[in-house]
Amino acid sequence: MGTKETEKKKRGFETFAVVWRVPLIAWQTVFFLGPLLFMVAMSFFVVKNYRMREAFEFVSWAKMLGRHTFWDAYGYTLLLAVCSTVIVSLIAFPAAYALAFKTSATVRRWAIFLLVVPFFTSYLVRIFSWYVVLAESGPVNSVLGFFGLGPFTMLNTMFGTMVGYATLTLPLVVILQTVSLANIDNRFIEAAHNLGCGAFRTIHAVIVPMAKTGLVIAALFCFILSFGDFVSPYYLGGSKPPTLAILIIDTTKSGQQWPRAAVVAVMMMLTLFTVAFSSIWYAYRKRGSR
Amino acid sequence: MTNSPASQPIVEFVDVVKRFGDFEAVKGIDLEIMPGEFIAIMGSSGCGKTTTLRMLAGLEAPTEGEIRLDGQVMNDVKPHDRDTPMVWQSLALFPFLNVRENVEFGLKMRGVGPDERKDRAMRWLERMEIEQFAERSVDQLSGGQRQRVALARALVTEPKVLLLDEPLSALDAHLVIRMQQVLTKLQRDLGITFVYVTHSQSEAFAMADRVVIMGDGKIAQVGKPRDIYRAPANRFVAEFVGRNNILTGTVTELAGSTVAIATPAGTFTVSAEGAALPAVGATASFVIAADLVHFSPDPMAEENSVECSLISEEFVGSVMTLFLESKDGTEFKVQTQERVLANIDLKATGRFHLGWSAASAHLLGE
Amino acid sequence: MSGRDALTTWVLRFYVVLVFGFIFMPIVASVIFSFNSQRFPTVPLGSFTTEWYTAILNDPDIWEAARTSILVSLSTSVLATFIGFCTAYTDYRFKFRYKYGFLALALLPPTIPLIIMALAMLAWFAKIGISGQVWSIIAAHTVLTIPFAMAIIRLRLNEMDESLEAAAWNLGASEWRAVKEVIIPFAKPAIISSMCLTAAVSFDEFAVAWFVSGLNKTIPVVILEIVTGNIDPQVNAIGSFVFLVSMTLVVLAQILFMTKGKRRTVTP
Repeated sequence: MGTKETEKKKRGFETFAVVWRVPLIAWQTVFFLGPLLFMVAMSFFVVKNYRMREAFEFVSWAKMLGRHTFWDAYGYTLLLAVCSTVIVSLIAFPAAYALAFKTSATVRRWAIFLLVVPFFTSYLVRIFSWYVVLAESGPVNSVLGFFGLGPFTMLNTMFGTMVGYATLTLPLVVILQTVSLANIDNRFIEAAHNLGCGAFRTIHAVIVPMAKTGLVIAALFCFILSFGDFVSPYYLGGSKPPTLAILIIDTTKSGQQWPRAAVVAVMMMLTLFTVAFSSIWYAYRKRGSR
Repeated sequence: MTNSPASQPIVEFVDVVKRFGDFEAVKGIDLEIMPGEFIAIMGSSGCGKTTTLRMLAGLEAPTEGEIRLDGQVMNDVKPHDRDTPMVWQSLALFPFLNVRENVEFGLKMRGVGPDERKDRAMRWLERMEIEQFAERSVDQLSGGQRQRVALARALVTEPKVLLLDEPLSALDAHLVIRMQQVLTKLQRDLGITFVYVTHSQSEAFAMADRVVIMGDGKIAQVGKPRDIYRAPANRFVAEFVGRNNILTGTVTELAGSTVAIATPAGTFTVSAEGAALPAVGATASFVIAADLVHFSPDPMAEENSVECSLISEEFVGSVMTLFLESKDGTEFKVQTQERVLANIDLKATGRFHLGWSAASAHLLGE
Repeated sequence: MSGRDALTTWVLRFYVVLVFGFIFMPIVASVIFSFNSQRFPTVPLGSFTTEWYTAILNDPDIWEAARTSILVSLSTSVLATFIGFCTAYTDYRFKFRYKYGFLALALLPPTIPLIIMALAMLAWFAKIGISGQVWSIIAAHTVLTIPFAMAIIRLRLNEMDESLEAAAWNLGASEWRAVKEVIIPFAKPAIISSMCLTAAVSFDEFAVAWFVSGLNKTIPVVILEIVTGNIDPQVNAIGSFVFLVSMTLVVLAQILFMTKGKRRTVTP
């Protein structure tokens, strides 16, 4: 008797509970999972006479993976993303360290708010701004000219691409690093100082290992963003050679070769999943027992 | 408790069990609460007292057994279809509503119109003496004022039963005493049933008509505060209530309703009036309330006496608690008025004789 | 020793200022260039002008794009905030099987590169026959902004005294009524913040919009097309306008979230 009543009550409650899940599940199935799965399927479609036909053939895969252009783009994109991850992480660390340990909580809160702001402003306009600033006859070179330096070619170089990537990822990386450093109990650092650790030794032996998870996650986000971005390598890097993202655009926009673009996209996703899972595994792995 | 037909219990728990997964929070409780009673459910944290209260409010469904309210089985009734308003430990006042709107909430949910709602809410605010704060935000009020808002909000629908979940635990000590008086008076005037959950013995004993002592998901004893204090049903209650001397030994002799028990501190006689008599040779425990033990000038004249040395003393108001130790190391507590001790030189005398009557000792059931 | 420590501290603080300088330089530069007469800005700057603003104000394409952008970001903010609220409430209130899968569905989109989402949505919308419409941009932007809405509202619900909702039931509110009378009023600052932020994200998004918009170009798509052509300081003028809109939304969201956030629930 008691159990039956409980059952009934549970079901009554469940209607209410389930209703709240419906909007997300419905929306994301139709507009998120649907597109992604369709894209994977599309990589096996064939294009004849500029018309796409649904099929299950490996034509596009063979075509793309058999080409040097694809592998050049793949290698170059990977190289750029790795460089960006390393450079941005290194640039961000001293700033995050200062925000975490050398400023008050109020300053830190405001700093993080300021770092959130660029995230909601147009990345495209910021990149265009760099394009003007870094130009051969732009403000940077004319200032350097006063000191008898330059002019330097900064656009259409890897330097330009890195500036763009940093514009995109630096705020987020500084935030994530700051938060993970600020979570370290100050007593550990004092203890390290008391044991005679110098500043660099403390950073190396205490701070970095303790904030490892946060630092790796920050680097991972930097990698994901850089790997998928097409604006910086296109406008500041000159697109020679193109990156995978630019390859997708070129393949899509010129001549209906969507299945080939889908192949590139699937390859990018596979790469990102591999990198994401291995870095998360690394970040949360237990440190060796010592 | 006998039921006269005129007064049916308003709340009944019949063999109620509550399990959360593998954890059994309430292990089969039976309880009847009469209309107009002030009942306190007391126990340490995790004893199942709050779960019991939440089941009564419908926030948890009993796994087994039945809960009846006014004779009707409530197991299946949703919280909002019950008339069991609650005063929460956190008070749970709505921060986005002002004081009056908070009080009106229950009426609004029942479809009472705006004008009547306002009238009734204001009447309750006046009754709680906080009508001048009606339009204030709740976080502009002091702890005691918020407490009154919570009470007004729960009582505005004029329920038959009010549930209170440790409502005073967040208040300062001096406010607790004041709010205890407010609550007691309110309950007398309204004549409705209060079910009051607390871990504080002083709150429970000061306000309740009957106290339910819970431990480990079960009811250990139900009774008037005085009965629980003087005649704890078992060792758990005796220890929980404190201010008791608990002794355990072997039964050596039965004489009428008086039992002789040999303990490490000596052999003592205990009146077993109204309790089941233990067999000779059985292990038995008994308690003597600390305030029923006295310093004896003539140990030979006492029914029970023991020689002790003083360990320490504690002084609260005019009441003194003395901690002593017998030769074998058994601890004894004596509670007495300070003036009684005026003619005993605690410092000078190294040894005291404590005495008590067989009738003041109480045999414990297990 | 302490002297050296102080020096390190000041060097580090100066470094922080440099990093912030780098981050905000393009924003500031863009605003300055938008009032600068030179077509190819350099130092020293040219004279003050509003010609770029006049130019965009007289461009009907820009007005058209602005209308589309506003429609898209408003619709996106309402949809994403509604779905985000339902999701945040589900996460707050219920435990169920596959909850991790459910949450992943909400939170995964930002980890997938926009260009991939753009391609996938372009193909999918063509397949189901709604490509090139304003609604396709809205549908796509909603997917991208749900995580923000969900996170903001979820954080707010975290601050709520758990007994608040139960207190509403206890006072006679059904579960639906309690959501209306307690959860929504309590989450209101976060709901408004969420609408501002999702609108700001949608207003700036260009990759997906570029792929799926067809002829219904949004402002960022117009910018993208202009900068692909040549250097045109009009972009700075549009950009400054876009910054103004986004910044207003973000600051509004922040103010709402911070001031109301301080009005905490009654906790002992």
